Formats: sequence, C-alpha cells, structure tokens
Amino acid sequence: MLSLDLNLVWNIINLVVLYLLLRHFLFKPVMGIMEKRRQIIEDGLKNAQDAQNDAMKMKQEYEDALKGAKQESAQIIENARSAAKNEYNRIVGEAGDKAGNIIESAKETVRVEREQTMKELQSEIAGLAVASAAKIVGRTADEDLYDQFLKEVGGSHDDTDNK
Amino acid sequence: MEELNCETVFTLPVLGGISESVVVTWIIMAVLVILSIVLVRNLKVENPGKVQLALEAGIGWAQDFFEGIIGKENRRYIPYLITVLLYLAFSNTIAPLFGFKPPTKDLNVTAGLAIMSMCLIEYSGIHKNGLKHWVKHFAQPVPVVAPIMILEVVIRPLSLCMRLFGNMLAGFVVMELIKTIVPLIIPIPVSFYFDIFDGLLQAYVFVFLTGLFMNEEME
Repeated sequence: MLSLDLNLVWNIINLVVLYLLLRHFLFKPVMGIMEKRRQIIEDGLKNAQDAQNDAMKMKQEYEDALKGAKQESAQIIENARSAAKNEYNRIVGEAGDKAGNIIESAKETVRVEREQTMKELQSEIAGLAVASAAKIVGRTADEDLYDQFLKEVGGSHDDTDNK
Repeated sequence: MEELNCETVFTLPVLGGISESVVVTWIIMAVLVILSIVLVRNLKVENPGKVQLALEAGIGWAQDFFEGIIGKENRRYIPYLITVLLYLAFSNTIAPLFGFKPPTKDLNVTAGLAIMSMCLIEYSGIHKNGLKHWVKHFAQPVPVVAPIMILEVVIRPLSLCMRLFGNMLAGFVVMELIKTIVPLIIPIPVSFYFDIFDGLLQAYVFVFLTGLFMNEEME
C-alpha cells in the first residue's frame, strides 16, 4: 500500500503523455478559437474606433472648409460691393461732368446764335430803316436828313458792336 | 483488506509489474483524449454550438482561475495545470461513477504528480528569474533560513502528495467500511461527500497549491 516502485515512473510518463495529448487535442484548438474570437472582436472594435475617428476628422475638415467658404463669399461680396460703388461714383461723376459740359456748350451755342441773330437783326433793321426813310423822304432824299439819320443809327450800331 | 492493495494487473517481461492505478490512468487518459477529440470537432469562431459554448466556458473558467493565481504572463503553464485538474477530477471521482479503484489512492500516482509539480515549481522559478537568482533565493531574507528553504523544495511536493493520497485513501477506506457494514442506501450520501465532493475538492486544492507555489517561486 505504502510502497513506491517502478509504477511511479509509469505514472509520470502517463501524466506527461496525457498533457501532450490534451495540449494537442484540447487546449490548442479551444484556446486558438477563443483567441481568434478575441482577435476578431478586438479588430472590430478597433475598426469601429478608426472609422469614427475618420468621420470626426472629415467632419472637422468639412466644417473648416465651410467656414472658409463663408468667409470667402463674404469677402467676394464685399469686394464686389466696393467695386460697384467705385464704378457708380465714377459713372455719376462722369455723367455730371458731361452734363456740365453739355450745358456749357449749349449756353455758348445759344450765346453765339443770339449774337449772330442780333447782328443780322441790326443789319436788317438798318436796311429797313433805310428803306422806310427812303419811303418817307421820297426817292430824292434830303442829303442832310440822311446823314443825320445815319449818324444816329450808326452811333447805336457802333454801340451794339462794341458790346 | 484486499481492496486497499494496489494489485498488479499484468507483468511485462522487462519493465515489471503494471499496477492497477496505471491501467486506470490509461483508461482515464483514453476517455479524456476521446472526449476532447469528440468535443473539439467543428469548432467555430462564429455561432458556436451549445457543446462548444460549454467547453469554452469550462476552459475559460479554468484559464481565468489559473491566470488569477500565476498571472497573465505565465499562461504557458496553464494547460499543464488544467490537465492535472482534469485528471485528478476524473480519477478521484471514478470510484462511485465507474467502479474502478481511484488511482490517486496509490502512493505512486500522487508521488508522481507531486514530483512533476516540484519540477514545474522549480523550473518556473528558474525560467522566470534565472538560475543565479534561484540559487540565491535560498538565502533570502537571511542566510540562516537556507536549510529550511532547501527543505521546502521537498516538503512542498511531499505535502501535496501526502494530502492527496491521505484524503483519497481515507475516503476509500471509509467507503469500503460503510459498504461492508450497511450495503444499502446509507453509502449513497456518504459517497457523495467522500468521493465526489472530497475528490473534486482535493483536485482543486492540488492544482491551486501548485499554482500558488509556482507564483511564490516566480516572485
């Protein structure tokens, strides 16, 4: 009962063989499967985390781009507005100048025309006066009267010329 | 008294007598290997079946249990410890279940297990911390304790061996006596205690202490 013999060795060998057999048939496959599953779950979680990080990064980028676009559009509008204002001022100024010129030249034309008309009128009036005088005095006009008239009219004629 | 003896089942020409415990161990080995081959078939990573789930739960429990004792970094020793646990659980409870004498009632078996445990304990310490540290640790914390520390190398497996052997033999003897006196009904609850409960408890204690000693040695 309490004796140690060669069976001790057989039992140790048995134990080692059992360990090797179980390791090959039981632990390797089962632990392998468990490890594989753990790996898959870990990968899945990691992938999900990566995807989320990517999404967040993209969102940030889009937001930045959107902000930039907003600023840019505001800048563009501002530029367009100031350009339009400049153009407006320029056009209005030009128009004002042009209108002034036109008015000026119209005034000048009117003045020149008036003067011309005046001149024509004077010569016509002189002619008419001569004719009427001739009619009044008759065909044989008095030399003295004629001279006197001429003096009078010529004096006024000179006055208008000098004006 | 003839039940207490370990009979020699047959004798090989050169190697001598093969005792009962060795033959029963062979049977247990065969059962364990066939069971694992049958259960491990068709393992799937996804959608595991009920059998696979139970198997994984069992192995996972044992793995967590031993990881808790010897640490995650020493998980390479876990398969051996689970093997011993399975072997002891089967051999301690084989008497009421299948009518064999438990092999652990034979001192040769428990001594073999204890020697293996001793080798494993010392090997794990040497593997982890190096031979130099292993030699030095006998003189820790003071050199005076060196003889006790050296004795401990032998005492630890001896206590493992004797605890298991004593428990199993005592249980077996008590069961045989009860069966001789009252062969009816009474042995059933007593058998549950001495064979099933004590057998599983001793299997647990054996691997638990082995793990604990290994952890101690690896510190």
